[in-house]
Amino acid sequence: MVTTLGSVGCDEALSDLTGPTPNLEPTFSSIQQEIFSSGDSSGRPACTNCHNAIGSRFNGLDLSPAVSYSNLVNVPSRGKAGAVRVIPGDPENSYLIHKLEGRSTIAGVRMPLGGPFLETGQILVIRRWIEIGAPNN
Amino acid sequence: MTCSRLVILAAVCALSCPALALAQEDDPDRDLQPSQHDFTVVNLPTTLRVPKYKSAFRVTHRFARPLGQGDFGDLAEDLFGLDSGAQIGLEYRFGIMRGTQIGIYRTSNRTIEFFAQYSGLQQKDNGMFGLDVIVTMDGTDNFSDSYSPALGVVLSRELGSHGALYFEPIWVNNSNQLPSELTDDNDTFLFGIGGRLRVRPTVYVVGEYIPRIGYSPGVDHLTFGVEKRAGGHVFQINFSNNIGTTPAQIARGGFDNEDWYIGFNISRKFF
Repeated sequence: MVTTLGSVGCDEALSDLTGPTPNLEPTFSSIQQEIFSSGDSSGRPACTNCHNAIGSRFNGLDLSPAVSYSNLVNVPSRGKAGAVRVIPGDPENSYLIHKLEGRSTIAGVRMPLGGPFLETGQILVIRRWIEIGAPNN
Repeated sequence: MTCSRLVILAAVCALSCPALALAQEDDPDRDLQPSQHDFTVVNLPTTLRVPKYKSAFRVTHRFARPLGQGDFGDLAEDLFGLDSGAQIGLEYRFGIMRGTQIGIYRTSNRTIEFFAQYSGLQQKDNGMFGLDVIVTMDGTDNFSDSYSPALGVVLSRELGSHGALYFEPIWVNNSNQLPSELTDDNDTFLFGIGGRLRVRPTVYVVGEYIPRIGYSPGVDHLTFGVEKRAGGHVFQINFSNNIGTTPAQIARGGFDNEDWYIGFNISRKFF
């Protein structure tokens, strides 16, 4: 009976939360493809429009697919002393999340620059990827 | 239909209806039980049976204004929350057979709960305790999203006519409203503890504490209140750290132990 009930209690669809990126999943490859390297139907530009090999000279972060992971995980922020971009297992203290959520403690401005900003569900997916250890998957 | 058939039908009705009425009046489930006179403590179910083919109705009301917001003057100005929003619930339960009841409960945040309860053991039979099995299913957005089934047992120990104590382990599935890809826990085990103590012939104090394991954000549900029975009605005023009333809402926890909410339940038995 428990099994029957368990199967009845259907789970919510992740795509219902992630708005303009319905294929977004809490894996690095998905985040890279859906968020960093691509814009979406909300009008949000791809992060790599600015955060690329050339742009990194100015803003210190290259999110191009080949180097993105090694530039994020356990890497100190250049913009704010003491902050670490992604701390595996700790989304709350990962500076990437602070910048995406636009917290008052960030240096500079909320990302993506000028918006549209990521929706709550999209940020939840990135938080979850960090929470499960920020694997390079 | 011929006249003779009508006569036979009338005779059958005349003979059977009094017998049916007599059988219903003999049903001990219709008797008042001073130790547990209602179908819930505050939110937790009791082991009180709904007599066969009889029913009961309940209104739950939880004011959404925290009592600690502002000073007492602010609270009085808002008439203890009357001017604020509230979560209201309407419940109807029906005895489909002896010892088995089903019901539907709808709260004003568009959650609908269907439930069924089977009375497995009664204390009057074994002298020890009563035991019911409950099955519920919550669905948000008018039962179109976030379905949370629950399965549990209700253990009751009646204290003569002085009241009753309850222990209710309940498993709630899909209590987390996030997709499973974003969560570790999607089940909550509730360990409901409740009690009803008769302090005057028709006046009771009630309380519930519901610790949880598994997915358990916020704080554990805690509530207490006082109630008065008047004929087939029970009027209860209660104070809770949570405005949730269904198993899934309780599994999702209260906001803060500093925030308390006033509320009331009104129930009516139709027997």
